[in-house]
Amino acid sequence: MMETGILFVVVFLICGLGVILAAVLPDRKNPPALAFVASLATLTLLWASGRVLFSDHAIFNSLWRVTPLIRLSIEIDRVSSFFLFITGLVFFPVSIFSAGYLKKYLGSYSLKSFALFYHLLFASIVLILIAGDVFSFFIAWEAMSILSYLLVNYEHGHEENTRSGFLMLAMSEAGTLAALVAFLIMAKTSGGIDFGSLRSLSLGQSARWGVFLLSFLGFGVKAGLVPVNSWLPRAHPAAPGNVSALLSGVILNLGIYGIIRINADFLPLKDVGQGLTVLAIGTLSALIGILYATPENDMKRMLAHSSIENMGIITAGLGAGFVFISSGHSVLGGIAFIAAFYHMANHSLYKALLFLGAATVDSRVGGRDMDRMGGLIRKMPWTSLFYLIGALSIAALPPFNGFVSEWLTLQSFLQCSALTSKGVKIAFALCGAGLALTAGLAVTCFVKAFAMSFLGMARSEAAQNASDPPHSMTIPMGILGIYCFLLGILPTYVIPQIDHVVVPFVHESALDALVPPFFTVGEGNERFPKAFVSEFHDLGAQVGSDTLPGRGLVIMHRGSTRNPVIFAMSPSYTIIVLVLLLVSGIVVVRVLTRKRALARRAAWDGGVRRLAPTMTYTATGFSNPVRVIFNAVLRPVTIQDSKETIAQHFLNAIKKDKREIHLVDRLFIRPIIDGGRLLAAWLGRMHSGRVNTYAAYVLLALMIVLMIQMLA
Amino acid sequence: MALPLDKIMKWKNLAQTAASRWPGRVEVSLDENRLTAHLRCSPDDLQGVCGWLFFELDYSFATLVVEEETASWSFRYIFYGDLGSGQVHIIVRHPLSETTIPCISRLIHAADWQEREIEDLFGLHFEGHPRLGDFVLHEEWPEGVNPMRTSFDSTRVYPHRESEPAWGPQTIVEAAGAFMMPIGPVYSDHAESAHFLLETLGEDVLRTIPRFFYKYRGLEKIAEGKSVDQVLLLAERFSGTSAFAHSLAFCQAVEGTIGAEIPKRAQALRVFLAELERLRHHVAAITGICQSTALAVATSQASILEEKILRLTCRYLGHRYLFGLNIPGGLSLDLTDDTCKGISEAGWDVLEKLKKLQGMLRFTSSFLDRLEEVGMVSKDKAVSYGLVGPVARASGVLRDLRVVQPYAYYGDHLKFYVPHEEEGDGYARLRVLFSEAEQSINLMHQVSASLPAGPVKTRLDPAPGSCLGWVESPGGATFHWVRLGEAGRVLRYRVMTSSFVNWHGFHLAAEDFAFQDFPIIMATFALSNAECDR
Amino acid sequence: MTKWVWKGLQTGIKTTAYPGSPETAAGVSPGRPGWKDPVERKKIMSLMDLCPTGALRPTEERISMDYRRCIHCFRCRRFPAEPLDWEPGYEWGEIVSNQGNLGKTFSNSLHIRIVDAGACGACLSEIGHITSPYYNIHRLGFFITPTPRTADVLLVAGPGTDHMRLPLEKVFEAMPAPKRVVAVGTCALTGGIFGKSFATRAGVGEIVPVDVEVPGCPPPPLAIIHALLVTAGRKKPPDAPSYPGTEREEGRS
Repeated sequence: MMETGILFVVVFLICGLGVILAAVLPDRKNPPALAFVASLATLTLLWASGRVLFSDHAIFNSLWRVTPLIRLSIEIDRVSSFFLFITGLVFFPVSIFSAGYLKKYLGSYSLKSFALFYHLLFASIVLILIAGDVFSFFIAWEAMSILSYLLVNYEHGHEENTRSGFLMLAMSEAGTLAALVAFLIMAKTSGGIDFGSLRSLSLGQSARWGVFLLSFLGFGVKAGLVPVNSWLPRAHPAAPGNVSALLSGVILNLGIYGIIRINADFLPLKDVGQGLTVLAIGTLSALIGILYATPENDMKRMLAHSSIENMGIITAGLGAGFVFISSGHSVLGGIAFIAAFYHMANHSLYKALLFLGAATVDSRVGGRDMDRMGGLIRKMPWTSLFYLIGALSIAALPPFNGFVSEWLTLQSFLQCSALTSKGVKIAFALCGAGLALTAGLAVTCFVKAFAMSFLGMARSEAAQNASDPPHSMTIPMGILGIYCFLLGILPTYVIPQIDHVVVPFVHESALDALVPPFFTVGEGNERFPKAFVSEFHDLGAQVGSDTLPGRGLVIMHRGSTRNPVIFAMSPSYTIIVLVLLLVSGIVVVRVLTRKRALARRAAWDGGVRRLAPTMTYTATGFSNPVRVIFNAVLRPVTIQDSKETIAQHFLNAIKKDKREIHLVDRLFIRPIIDGGRLLAAWLGRMHSGRVNTYAAYVLLALMIVLMIQMLA
Repeated sequence: MALPLDKIMKWKNLAQTAASRWPGRVEVSLDENRLTAHLRCSPDDLQGVCGWLFFELDYSFATLVVEEETASWSFRYIFYGDLGSGQVHIIVRHPLSETTIPCISRLIHAADWQEREIEDLFGLHFEGHPRLGDFVLHEEWPEGVNPMRTSFDSTRVYPHRESEPAWGPQTIVEAAGAFMMPIGPVYSDHAESAHFLLETLGEDVLRTIPRFFYKYRGLEKIAEGKSVDQVLLLAERFSGTSAFAHSLAFCQAVEGTIGAEIPKRAQALRVFLAELERLRHHVAAITGICQSTALAVATSQASILEEKILRLTCRYLGHRYLFGLNIPGGLSLDLTDDTCKGISEAGWDVLEKLKKLQGMLRFTSSFLDRLEEVGMVSKDKAVSYGLVGPVARASGVLRDLRVVQPYAYYGDHLKFYVPHEEEGDGYARLRVLFSEAEQSINLMHQVSASLPAGPVKTRLDPAPGSCLGWVESPGGATFHWVRLGEAGRVLRYRVMTSSFVNWHGFHLAAEDFAFQDFPIIMATFALSNAECDR
Repeated sequence: MTKWVWKGLQTGIKTTAYPGSPETAAGVSPGRPGWKDPVERKKIMSLMDLCPTGALRPTEERISMDYRRCIHCFRCRRFPAEPLDWEPGYEWGEIVSNQGNLGKTFSNSLHIRIVDAGACGACLSEIGHITSPYYNIHRLGFFITPTPRTADVLLVAGPGTDHMRLPLEKVFEAMPAPKRVVAVGTCALTGGIFGKSFATRAGVGEIVPVDVEVPGCPPPPLAIIHALLVTAGRKKPPDAPSYPGTEREEGRS
């Protein structure tokens, strides 16, 4: 246990080293130094958090007493270490990527500052996750907010970046304030500010609702939930490419961390209504996120909207878990939580991969507009391959990781039949349908993202002349791709770990209900009777038991005798079968056609003399049906729709331009701003400009204060 | 029928009216036999005169004939009017060195494509036309070589040139993410070759850019210097689905040049056969419309009727498509009265089945959904583009050459009405096709009931001169203009077909509708690319 | 929709029995010139003057018919005092290349890509009729494809215009081997009345290698079906006709 603590100290020391090097080294040398040092730090972090995650050593440590009220402490339990592990997994490739990517800022912006902010951001994130009391948590949180603002606004030469960063900071502070109030409500009752004393609390109904809403919406700002996520689609594209990967892959998770800490750890939700609120907001976020992602042509903004969607799915999974637990179905709640945590890990990995891919493309092509890309697969084959893996993962297609977590989430929704209340079941059904729609739109979105950027003909000069990126940029994407693949084909090794993480919240292990131990159960025991085990052994559920460790390779949820299997699947076996099919298919085709001649010809184009790139689909064209179908929701504002003619009959130009205002902005932010303005205007009438009136105000205030004093 | 007196008076007063508006600058000579006025003016007054005829006197623009004479260019703008208003030919002469003439298509949009065609083929420049270039001769054709010039050797094969890599047709849509869907020239099943570029943002077609003349066979050029008999074959065969109508127009042009009197029996039989061709063409168009909407049984039903008519035609007239029947002077084959009656009896049978089909289609909502309010052409646009035929009549433009410029046996002898609709959508065009088929059978019956006796052809002695021949072909107004030289050689041959005119207006119907509607709108227009490209 | 099904069933079967048994209905084919006895030289010369495309060629006492040039103008039938005899029938397709037919693999399954290389409309209309209820090639296993990639047969009509040269070459190249080209109509064989000019070739043979030829102007649907059956190897191309005094033109010009 001590060693783990020392390892964490080492992490901070390496960060400090990084800060010093950043200040000392010249700009040119900074990117590789950053990559090296940060990689070291992340590897150390992975080791340290891995020790806590995979064994059972939680660390509780009191540090210094700052004032009689405030005692700083460290708490690293399995939840923290899970988040720390994911942070490390994402930071590692992003750091390596930075070596090559940051070269584009050489000469225009200070790379010293970047390295400085980077290392400090890393340290602050680690601090948030290891903080054991409210004070250190919020200090680290504020540091993280400010540092992420500084990094988002890194290219401060462009005004929109500053605006977006500022919006992010402002909303983030508002959220932090709300969360702080929630913490204070709890701290007031508990008497202490360390997390241990916050755990054993009893609060009244209204206080519980207050804490729930404040913490959920407050941390929801950081997590990117509707209706407080207006900053996300603006801030993520504004940041440099590697920072966007961090924002989506690591920092969004911190919002979820906050929500989990308060609503699952300190003050577990007892009210089904609260769970349903979480579920509903999660589903809404998912739907709105993907709805705006699909017609979006800017690569990074599309990924930002997609982050909202994925955070929505995670939140919906958490909401389902809360409902199950508060209704007494702990195991089902555990399944839902496992699905949500798994999805969070998956999202961090594939979103980071996609953002790194977008950054690579941006650095080579010089733009992010998918309408002006195309044909990049021939110029950057490795980038295309890894981006494809990312796209398949986020579209939840086997054999990648997104499939497992999204499938588990939807399956956990279907278990709502175990609940008794009809209203709740209807809510689950609607949210399940909403998530299914989201999944469908996500496939559309990412088919468009991959195909329009990488396939087809190059639709602009820049895309025509794009060059291959250096290995320092493709290798990190490869690493993330491998993560995605591994987490997709070995879910039965991941689920037990996540189960350990959620057991403290659920109070019951869901492992037996998710991964039957076909490898270790032998003939059977009382939980897994002989008949059941032998039936599945006949189907091959024990294949690999001699060579592979673990419980088994099948994810299965058992039901009653009438309905023995509620859901089951095995990505591990699936990938084996898929590979066998692919290989045998290739062999058969090769054998059958060995005597045939192969001729290569240009694509059939209807006999046109020359097929120009303007005659191929653009990203706008591909996603136009979605725009048309959801027109009532998207409500684009027509800026121009005119026809110009010469002499009344010769059509010269047809001009069309539409802009969309985000739904959340339209329905939530704008009314609040307008309401605020209205209130300010009304109150502004107080400022009449006459000194006599102001003197009267002073007199009035004095009289009121005296009256209150006398009455109290 | 009695020609309206007021219109004839107006036509007779053309000379006075023109002289008062353009004193001393316009010469008018009237040919009362043919009800044709020849108006000579200078290029500067051209736009004014054409505008006056088109807008104030309600004449339609037929075609522009350009001839390269020994010392000058001759531009002949042919206009035709309502019943009794006759025709007006505006003739402008230019010295050969001057290759620029003012364009009239800013006023009369119907002249747009005709001026572009002449620019490509003659190398003349129409001043003020914003869209010249890339029309008949595609981008691989060598620059500065114009096929219709007398110096051009039509027997040679000209080498292609490499067009610039960045060359592309001019796009019109300015919007983020707009692109073009290419269709053709080789596309579905047995569709004729043509290339369409559909400018779109992804759902609706915003603009169609059609590129034709993949089937350009240089008809007008290869006819020059040939005998009337040989050009008759060209006239008949360049568009096989309206072969009889085109050969009739050509024969009438030749007969008009010579000034021959055609026997009444030939005139009547010509009407009979022209209506038979119209019937077959319209049934084929109905088959095409049902096929485009994928209504399989209706397609089969219409196809069965079409084959019945083809077999009927072949059995009595030797050829399924009425080839080889018209000759200058009459017909090459006589039909007995009983044969005519037999054919028109078979026609009634076809009509009955056609009516049943129409009745069933009227109540098939999935079919009507694809046609109603799809592919709309408004009446104003139809008039300004000069659309003709069933397409125009579906938009409320009534002009039918059989009524306004009667030829052959039409006129006083036959009673029929010209079907028309107001909506201008696909369903209106379909209804017009059905009604016209019914009227054709009605006309065939009238002719067979009162067939005049006598010879079916007369001998013609060729004489030099020029004349316009016109016919309401199944697709609409068609004009063949011929200039004969010594020994019956054709010096200049000009063909203006209904498909050429209507393809010009096709984009009006196809714009602002979805991709999926495009083939259906095309089917409701029932146009022939071979006729357009010539 | 049931009324359409009922209507279809009521209409019954209209399809011809060909190739099982010859089609005898009137009007399925315009027929073509043919005659039984040797013809006098005087008559030969006058007939030759009438033929606008030079399909009638004199030899000693005979005329040889080049059906590849006949455009069905009927002048040899309607104008002279003693017109030529007429030969009904429609089995006009012939194999003209060394490749032969497509063989057993394709005899019951042929996919056809149709290309219009400047045809007037009559040939295309007849080609369109091969899928109509009267002829229906689907029962023979023949289908029309929208893409040349899956086509075995390229069916071309039209004299081969200059502008269609490149698209036609592209279609031919896009078809995978084995493939055959069937040229339909007199225009596709010899250029018809358009002939060789700046705008057209004398037949599509100058653009793509032709394997099967179907003369006629236009060849009726049964002739086209016959040519497809010949391409698929289900029908032997006709031998020299049994009329003495007529010979097929030797060699190709």
